[in-house]
Amino acid sequence: MNRKPIRVVVAKPGLDGHDRGAKVIAQALRDAGMEVIYTGLRQTPDQIVEVAIQEDVQVIALSSLSGAHLHLFPPVVQKLREQNIHDVLVLGGGVIPDEDIPVLQDAGIPAIFTPGASTKDVVRYIQEHFYGPQEKPKVQKIDHIGIAVKDLQQAIDFYENVIGIKCTMIEEVPDQKVKVAFLPTGDSEVELLESTDPDGPVAKFIAKNGEGMHHIAYRVDNLEAKLEELKRAGVPLIDQKPRRGAGGAMIAFLHPKGTFGHLVELCQRED
Amino acid sequence: MFDPKELERLKQSKEQWKENKVSKVTQRFPERRSEFKTDSDIPVDTVYTPDDLGVFNHDEKLGLPGEYPYTRGVQPNMYRGRHWTMRQYAGFGTAEETNKRFRYLLDQGQTGLSCAFDLPTQIGYDSDSDLAQGEIGKVGVAIDTLADMEILFDQIPLDKVSTSMTINAPAAVLLAMYIAVAEKQGVSAEKLNGTIQNDILKEYIARGTYIFPPEPSMRLITDIFAYCAEQVPNWNTISISGYHIREAGSTAAQEIAFTLADGIAYVQAAIDAGLDVDKFAPRLSFFFNAHLNFFEEVAKFRAARRLWAKIMKERFGAKNPKSLMLRFHTQTAGSTLTAQQPDVNIMRVAYQALMAVLGGTQSLHTNSRDEALALPSEESVLIALRTQQVIGYEIGVADTVDPLGGSYHVEYLTDELEKKAMEYISKIDDMGGAPNAIEFMQREIQASAYKYQQDIESEERIVVGVNKFIMKQEPPKDLLRVDPALGESQKAKLKHVKENRDHARVHEALERIRVTAQSNENLMPVIIEAVKEYASLGEICGVLRDVYGEYRQQIIF
Repeated sequence: MNRKPIRVVVAKPGLDGHDRGAKVIAQALRDAGMEVIYTGLRQTPDQIVEVAIQEDVQVIALSSLSGAHLHLFPPVVQKLREQNIHDVLVLGGGVIPDEDIPVLQDAGIPAIFTPGASTKDVVRYIQEHFYGPQEKPKVQKIDHIGIAVKDLQQAIDFYENVIGIKCTMIEEVPDQKVKVAFLPTGDSEVELLESTDPDGPVAKFIAKNGEGMHHIAYRVDNLEAKLEELKRAGVPLIDQKPRRGAGGAMIAFLHPKGTFGHLVELCQRED
Repeated sequence: MFDPKELERLKQSKEQWKENKVSKVTQRFPERRSEFKTDSDIPVDTVYTPDDLGVFNHDEKLGLPGEYPYTRGVQPNMYRGRHWTMRQYAGFGTAEETNKRFRYLLDQGQTGLSCAFDLPTQIGYDSDSDLAQGEIGKVGVAIDTLADMEILFDQIPLDKVSTSMTINAPAAVLLAMYIAVAEKQGVSAEKLNGTIQNDILKEYIARGTYIFPPEPSMRLITDIFAYCAEQVPNWNTISISGYHIREAGSTAAQEIAFTLADGIAYVQAAIDAGLDVDKFAPRLSFFFNAHLNFFEEVAKFRAARRLWAKIMKERFGAKNPKSLMLRFHTQTAGSTLTAQQPDVNIMRVAYQALMAVLGGTQSLHTNSRDEALALPSEESVLIALRTQQVIGYEIGVADTVDPLGGSYHVEYLTDELEKKAMEYISKIDDMGGAPNAIEFMQREIQASAYKYQQDIESEERIVVGVNKFIMKQEPPKDLLRVDPALGESQKAKLKHVKENRDHARVHEALERIRVTAQSNENLMPVIIEAVKEYASLGEICGVLRDVYGEYRQQIIF
């Protein structure tokens, strides 16, 4: 999508000299494609509003760690209103006690980011404010069903000759200690898994449960976003980040304790 | 110390061991990470053995405690004689409240005072200035005139306690007030013990409470060196600070390098001003951070000591052993405290305090668990002080000197950090020294800070309670709040003082400062005269602002 970049001024009101957070946020917003102006230290609310107008920004991000936020943040909003400016988003960050947050929100600063906040949260907040909620990642189909077997060749013979699905490829995935056979049928495929090591996860699975269905994999259009969404929903994950799996796909496993006892894989493939 | 042939044999057998034993295990059970590194990007190996240190010259690398190059400590017996000074940084609100907190801490067995000033005081504005509004008494105590200072140290015998003051740009004024209060208590200046931070270069680089441009700022600093060498001989005239450089995001190696580079600039400025190195150098002190990477931090303190001794001896030709000793205060890293699950901070602080003690610190501030949320409550401060007392009195680590010395790993890290720091210092030398390399240092720090944050977000770096082991928790109650009415009462107090002083004498004293500032005369005597007339901090700094102008920061991110 081709949009004009969002313009942001990151500002340090008051006398506070702690600018590590402000500078990290400034750089993160810039890396997210926004145009960022950083004012430097010791700015008065008047000066900040002046820069915001001159630079034609859509966002003012204020940072203070000295405890003077109640005194310094609201006047910025007030001065914008005096200039009849209503569409500039004013955000705050710093060491700010929870009980002060509603006070700042009432003053026209809808979001306050406190220690431990991720720069991604700030980026997402700004983007959603201007572009609306990001499209939710979609599950497209069942990508494959994984079946753990002791003898891969025997299983392939059975599927090819008895069930009637052809194996199109065999691949070894060393870091999972597994050899995988792919048998596409219709929109999805069967994945047969044989362990290459007596201590591999598939060998352990068979030792515990016997041969049989090992996991079900759903294809998604944005794996990273889907994982973020699941994390926020508190779903336990085995893989916190996408990693490369068999067949060139990016994959991640969810923990069975969050999915009614069966193993779920999510995958994303370049089409 | 080690035989080269023997080292070669050891190296080979270690390689074999890696090939056979280690790789067998790691093939079956992959390690937690593909590579292990310290915060300064030094690779960390499976194990350390003598061959990692090469032919190790004991006397050159370590020496005995209290002997050159002081790697193992500046005193021969370190904490066997006396513990480090347990010095909690405190100060908020009015002089009355801070005086109460000081006396509470002394009653609890604290052995030195450390005073935090509010931002207007640190930047040379009185409480009645427009720019001070909203900041009065917030991050420290508000001091406008000698009247506030008299209350601050009421019933505290200044000949018995040592006081550290975190004050930089207007350090000369606060020191002048301290000397004047002592005089009123009947304590002469030569009996005073304490420290002013007085480190302006790191204000430009990382902390932000500068006032004047570099040149007059350096002159104020060398004036203080010269005055104290004669009049306040036991005063630490500067605390060259890596703490804030680290808090701004630097690595351990950068912390050593940039701090010592600043130190070199001060020493050079004082020599250029005609002072004898062995007269002022014994009163230089340092201030470091105790961060997270345990062994690297211990090594950092040792490397800094060794490097400074070499610099003073070889570069500046100092002869007095006291000039070669890097004495330092440590504070646990505020930036590592989490707002989430704040009680866990108690554990972080305890380990950090241990790093500082194993690194041979002369004094220590332990942070309180609630500092990512607000100023610390009295109860939190007490736990933090007790943490030091447990380390000092219960667990035996203070009973021998530098107990980690000789650890192959710690010695290896000490060597590596010294090397990395020296590379930076040479680079800064090539730029013409620290005052000319401020932007370079800022850029380096910013890059490290950004990487640190990205590592947390990618979970490359784990922060318990923030990106792992997360728990929903009620925010803690009983946070300390500075009374918002305090600003008004402080202003009323100032008004009263201003109305009840001898205006003509104040005016004359301020004019004398103006004239002296334009000359080459030492500024300290005229500043002391002015504070005794109850000229305010803002008035004195105002005159100096007129003469010197103000520093303008370059915007770098």
